[in-house]
Amino acid sequence: MVINILNGLVYGGLLYILAVGLVLIFGLRRVVNFAHGSLFMVGGYVAFTVAAYSSFWVALPVSIVVLALLGVILDRFVFRPLQHEDPISTVLVTFGLLLVLEDVVKTIWGKDFLSLAAPPLLSGTVSIVGETFPVYRLMVIVVAVLVAAGLSLWLRFSRIGLYVRASSVDPVTTGMQGVDTDRVSAAVVAIGAGLAGLSGTIAAPLMALSPSMGSFILIDSFIVVVVGGLGSFSGAFIAALLIGQVHNFGIVYIPWAASLIPFLLMVAVLIWRPTGLAGGRA
Amino acid sequence: MQTVWMRRMGLAAATVLAAAAPAAAQETIKIGVPTALTGTYADLGDQSRRAVVFAVEEANAAGGIDGRKVEVRFLDTEAKPDLARRQGEKLALEGYKLLIGAVASGEGLAMGPMLQRWDALYISTINKANQITGSACQPRMFRANRLDAADGAVVTPWLAGRKETKWAIMAADIAWGRDSGASFIKSAQANKRTIVSENYSPFGSNDFAPYIQKIKDSGAQGLWVALAGRDAINFATQAKQFGLFDTVFTAGVSFVTDNTVKTLGEVSRGIWGIINYSSTLDTPANKKFVADWAKKYPGAEPTNFEGETYIGMQVLLQAIARAKSSKPADVAKAMEGTTFDTILGKQLMRKEDHQLVGPNFFGYVGDKDGKLKPIITMSVPPETATPPADAACKMPG
Repeated sequence: MVINILNGLVYGGLLYILAVGLVLIFGLRRVVNFAHGSLFMVGGYVAFTVAAYSSFWVALPVSIVVLALLGVILDRFVFRPLQHEDPISTVLVTFGLLLVLEDVVKTIWGKDFLSLAAPPLLSGTVSIVGETFPVYRLMVIVVAVLVAAGLSLWLRFSRIGLYVRASSVDPVTTGMQGVDTDRVSAAVVAIGAGLAGLSGTIAAPLMALSPSMGSFILIDSFIVVVVGGLGSFSGAFIAALLIGQVHNFGIVYIPWAASLIPFLLMVAVLIWRPTGLAGGRA
Repeated sequence: MQTVWMRRMGLAAATVLAAAAPAAAQETIKIGVPTALTGTYADLGDQSRRAVVFAVEEANAAGGIDGRKVEVRFLDTEAKPDLARRQGEKLALEGYKLLIGAVASGEGLAMGPMLQRWDALYISTINKANQITGSACQPRMFRANRLDAADGAVVTPWLAGRKETKWAIMAADIAWGRDSGASFIKSAQANKRTIVSENYSPFGSNDFAPYIQKIKDSGAQGLWVALAGRDAINFATQAKQFGLFDTVFTAGVSFVTDNTVKTLGEVSRGIWGIINYSSTLDTPANKKFVADWAKKYPGAEPTNFEGETYIGMQVLLQAIARAKSSKPADVAKAMEGTTFDTILGKQLMRKEDHQLVGPNFFGYVGDKDGKLKPIITMSVPPETATPPADAACKMPG
C-alpha cells in the first residue's frame, strides 16, 4: 500500500514538473504549447550526451540551462508573435515545432532507443515497510516537492512573481500598469522550458529515450493541466498528484479499465467544474 | 483552356504508356512496406526497413528478379492497426501491392481481410498472433516468422526443466501480448505450474512501477514477459531498479532481443528468452548473409527481426521468380506448398494455413565474442517447432 502510494507520487511528481511548465507558458502567453513534450524529450537527450562525457550531476543543470535558452528563443520568435493569433494557429505552429524537434533529434541521436543509467549515488534501493524501493524514485518525489515549493515561494514573494500572477490573470491590464510583459514572459517561458529539461533529465533513467517519448507523456500532462485548471499553478500540483494515484491504483485494482480512468476523471471534472479543480477565473 | 491542355497531356501520356506496353515485362517489381517508423515499436520498424532495403539492394545488384528491378516504398503505421490498414491501402493503390514488414500483429490482422479487395498480398515477418495463420487466415496472407504457438512449442519443454512453480505474466495489451500470454498459460498448465499474476499494460506505457509492485506482491518465482520495443526497455529499466530480476527468474519473448540488449546493456544480463533468429547460427547461407550485412551496414550484425524479415524477403523474391510474375495472385499461388531456400535452410510454406515451417530457439543474454547478446542454448527443428496447421483456419474463397 505504502509502496503503491509512493509509486503514484513518483509518476505524479514527474507529470507535475512537466505540466507546471505548460501552465506557466499558457498563463503568460496564452499559448497551448504542444511542443512541450518535445522539450521534455530534448532535455532527456541533452542530459544523455552530457552525462556520457561527465556525470548525471553535471547533465542535470546543463540540460535545464540549455532548455531554458531554447525557451527564450522560442518565446521571442514563436510565442510572442503568436500570442494575438487565433488559438488554432498556435496549436498548429507548436505541433509543427514538435515534429521538427523530433526530426532534429532523429538526425543527431539516431532512431535507436537510448538509456541513461541512474547516478551511482542513487542507484540502490532502500527498505520501506519491509519492501525494497529504488532510491532514485524517492529523489524524483523530492525534486517535485522542491519545484512546487520553489515556484510557489517565487510566485508569492518576488516582484516578478507578482507580475507573473498579474499577467496570467490579465496580460493587457498588467501591461497598462507599466509591467514589461514581454520580458516577464521571456523569463517565464525560459523557466517553463527549463522545467521540461529538468523533467526530461530525471525521466531519462526511468524510461527509454526515443524521439517520440514526448508524445507519450504529453497526453498525461495535458490531462493534468485540464483537470487542474488551465493557468492554475496549485491546480496543476493537486491534479498531478491525483492523476499519479489514480493511474497507480487503477492498475493495481481495476487493471482492465486503468488506462481509461484518467480520461474519465478529466471528463468528470470538466462537467462538474469546467474551469478545472483550482481554476475559477474563466 | 487549362483543362483542355491537361486533357491533351493526359492523352499524350496514355499514348506513351500504350507504346511502352510491350516492354511491360520489364516493369519494376514494387514492394510496399507499411511499418512502424515512429512510436513505441519504431526500433522494430527500423529493423524491418533495414532488412527490406538490404534484400532489395542485393536483388538489384544481382541483376534484379527475372531481369526486373525491384523498388520499395515505406509508409509509417506507428504499429497501429487502423493506420496500417490505411497505409496498406495507399501502397496497394499506388501499385505497391506486395506488402511485407509490418510490426504489430494487429496490423497484419487489420490488413488481412482487405488484401483481396486491394488485389494485394502480405507476408508477415514479425507478427506473432496465432490468428494470422489461424482463425483469421486469408488466401493472400502468409507468415514467414514464428507464431506464438511455435514459441509455446519451445517454452513448454524448457519450462519442464525449471524449478519455479509460481509464475507471473507481463505482456502488452495488444493482439500479440494477449496471444503470447495465453500461449504461456498453456505451457504452464502442461507443466503443472500456476499463474499467480497476469498483467497487460497499454501499448506505449511510461510507468511500469504499479505492475512491478503487483508482480512482487504476487509471490511469483518466475516471470514471463511479452513486451517489445520501447515498452520492453521501460519495463526492464524500472524492474531492475526495483530489484525484481534479483528475486524473480525472468524470461520472455521479443523482450531481450539483439536491439534491446544494445540499449539495456547490463540490465539485460541473465534474462532468458525465445530467439527466433540469431546471427550466430552456423549455416553457410547464414554466414554469407551475416558477412554481406556487415558490408552494407559496417560494424553491424543482423538482429533477430532483421534476420526474420530477410527470410520473408527471400520467400517473396523467390516466389516472384518462380511465378515469373509480380501479380499478387500469381505470387500467392507460387508460394503455397512450396519449399524455399532461406538462411535457415529449406523451409516449406504450408498450403493449409500459409505458415512457413521453420526452426525455433531458446537462450539467455550473456557474453559471446566479447559482446553481450542473446546466446542460443536450445534448438528445436522445424517440424517440432511449428505446430500442425490450426483447424480454425478456413481460407475464405
